Amino acid sequence: MPEMNYDHIVVRYGELSTKGKNRKDFTRQLTSNIRKRLKDHEKLTYNTLHDGLFIKLNGEDYETIREKLKDVFGYSYFSGAIRVEKDIDKVKEVSLDLARKHNIRTFKIATKRHDKSFPLRSDDINRALAGNILHNTDLTVDVHDPDLMIYVSVDKDFIYVMDEKIKGAGGYPTGINGMAMVMMSGGIDSPVAAYLTMKRGLRIECIHFASQPYTSKQALDKVLTLAEKLSVSQEEINVHIIPFTDLQLAIYKTVDEPYCITIMRRMMYRIADRICKERKIRVITNGESIGQVASQTPESISVIGKVADTLILRPLCMMDKLEIIDIAKRIDTYETSILPYEDCCTIFDPKNPVTKPREDKCLYFESLFDYEKLVDECVANDNIVNVSYRKADEEDESIF
Amino acid sequence: MKVYLDAVSTTALDEKVRETYQKLLDEYYCNSDALYDDGVAIYDMQEKSRQLICSMFGVKKDELIFTSGASEANSLAIKGLALKHRDRKHLVTSIYEHSSVYNSFRQLEEDFGFEVTYLNPDEDGHITAEAVKNALRNDTLLVSIMQVNNEIGAVNDIGSIAAIVKKHPGTYFHCDMTQGVGKIGLDLSNIDMASFSAHKIHGLKGSGALIKKEFVQLLPLISGGQQEYSLRGGTSNALVNIVLARTLRIALENREKYHDHLLQLHDRLHDGLKDLVKINYDKGLVTLMNIDTPIPSEVLLNALNERGIMVSSKSTCGSRKNEPNRTLHAMGYDEDHAIRVSFDYTNTIEEIDYFIDNLKEILKQYA
Repeated sequence: MPEMNYDHIVVRYGELSTKGKNRKDFTRQLTSNIRKRLKDHEKLTYNTLHDGLFIKLNGEDYETIREKLKDVFGYSYFSGAIRVEKDIDKVKEVSLDLARKHNIRTFKIATKRHDKSFPLRSDDINRALAGNILHNTDLTVDVHDPDLMIYVSVDKDFIYVMDEKIKGAGGYPTGINGMAMVMMSGGIDSPVAAYLTMKRGLRIECIHFASQPYTSKQALDKVLTLAEKLSVSQEEINVHIIPFTDLQLAIYKTVDEPYCITIMRRMMYRIADRICKERKIRVITNGESIGQVASQTPESISVIGKVADTLILRPLCMMDKLEIIDIAKRIDTYETSILPYEDCCTIFDPKNPVTKPREDKCLYFESLFDYEKLVDECVANDNIVNVSYRKADEEDESIF
Repeated sequence: MKVYLDAVSTTALDEKVRETYQKLLDEYYCNSDALYDDGVAIYDMQEKSRQLICSMFGVKKDELIFTSGASEANSLAIKGLALKHRDRKHLVTSIYEHSSVYNSFRQLEEDFGFEVTYLNPDEDGHITAEAVKNALRNDTLLVSIMQVNNEIGAVNDIGSIAAIVKKHPGTYFHCDMTQGVGKIGLDLSNIDMASFSAHKIHGLKGSGALIKKEFVQLLPLISGGQQEYSLRGGTSNALVNIVLARTLRIALENREKYHDHLLQLHDRLHDGLKDLVKINYDKGLVTLMNIDTPIPSEVLLNALNERGIMVSSKSTCGSRKNEPNRTLHAMGYDEDHAIRVSFDYTNTIEEIDYFIDNLKEILKQYA
């Protein structure tokens, strides 16, 4: 890839564009999220318009910004762009220059006219620019499979010339759809669920059930590391660490072994539900996927979920493990997730967990001990840790 | 005035590395393999350092073994590989390798029955890919060639050599890149093992690493616990290993930053020396020049030393031995009159001038 002298980045909204009256909120949230992600680049200036967000580089390094932009949800694609005045001769000059910089044989021009009042139609512009390049180089046009696409966008005040379209992560700007609480074990699935939750515009907090001393500090650190990795999409994440040991021990003392996991999961939902209500969080999400383990059969999910009346969404519900792993690898949580530290679900592993639990049996087991007091204690002892990749970077900076 | 012109031998500790190391020393003392928080914190930092170094070299995270320096890394790579694969008996190296490489091969030859081919540099000072190719046999286990020679500064085309070895089934390639790290980039994609040390790039003494691709099996030279993938026993020198990442990062940053400065120093040195002495070798590393002086090098060394100028006559690792110098001998240089002048970005034009002026006076007086 040759070095391009981009002076702008053009971000296009995509799915956002379909949202009629909420559009202003969406573009504002998106711009705000992008500004936060790029806040180290102080020289950037932003112009949020109807058709896109225009970021002026003012000398900031495009390559670095390009990687960071990919962490933000809620836009369709972006391009490094060269801004030109609305003068076709100037566009000719810039597009020719661009074509010459690439080591290619064929090209194609694709113009999009956002400003319909511009006197030349898209097709006229394509012809004018292609003609100029054909005349001045040995290149040829290939409309089907060109080596280089040159995109020209005629916007309100300027024309932008681009040579790449970088697909964004998609989704909605994180935060636009309120808050969600993600149940985070530290395994492969829950970070993926967290990612997909943020992708759908929900700002997340995470809840983790820690069973120290049965689980180690490393198991907890692993969850915090995962949250840190995920925080690039919303700057910081509150992780609720719930001391779960006493409740867990009470369950294993009281409940028949096959029902232990079922009851344990019900307790987790109860605690998550309580904390959501306290914090006005309207959604719980987690990494459950149908059939994956005994507690994730339709019967189990149904019986377990009944204890919470906060909306529960399960983004991975219909996904295969391999699909989940693909995403985990893509978002760089996989390697951390597979570190071999016991979490609270694996430490008390019953031999024959029930796959079709009955609610009446659950209620019976739960009537045998004063779980409400223990749930209260868990909620009261919620330890909230604020995690951010920025803090981690700063710490690293001082040593590495 | 003290002028240090022996950067190839070792370098002064970088201030930021010193600060970081000091900070770590003040704060941490636990065993990095201990499972309580303070131990785990050190372990995590060491592993973070490993990961960062690996990404700087473009290798996988688990492909780096921390060692006490390049000599240990070289010994582990060469003897560790050979003793693990005793069915292949032939080894290839060059005559002008660092003593830690050369003597490892000598030991394998004399004590363990391996056959070693020692390649000579061509007249330009290089070990060529062609020479390596011709030396390969069906039972060749290992080729080890240095990236940059430590006495004349010759820079070998490691990429071509590695490509040749790569194509030869069952033969591994090791590169001692100690004198190249932080100075000349090296693509490690075809290299099975590579060694370097920290103290040549303003890091701590007693610190270095062996990069070893995951498929390479070695016999540990130090038996012990689980440290360093069970390839190097002994409680990890974790704090030293932690600062290696920063050492390397600073070196890479400075390589860019001082590129022009180093060229200026080189040109100043070259211009000053060219009419005073015979320049043996100046075709390789910009920061190293090997010269032939009209008076015996020992005399010159002493005279310069009296004036606060530090240079070497040959590799410091062989400085107290009276054996003939392999590199100079192979190049046909007069080892009794050879001097190695080397510098780095901390040197100044004034220091170069001071050296040249004093050299002029000394030669006038004694030549």
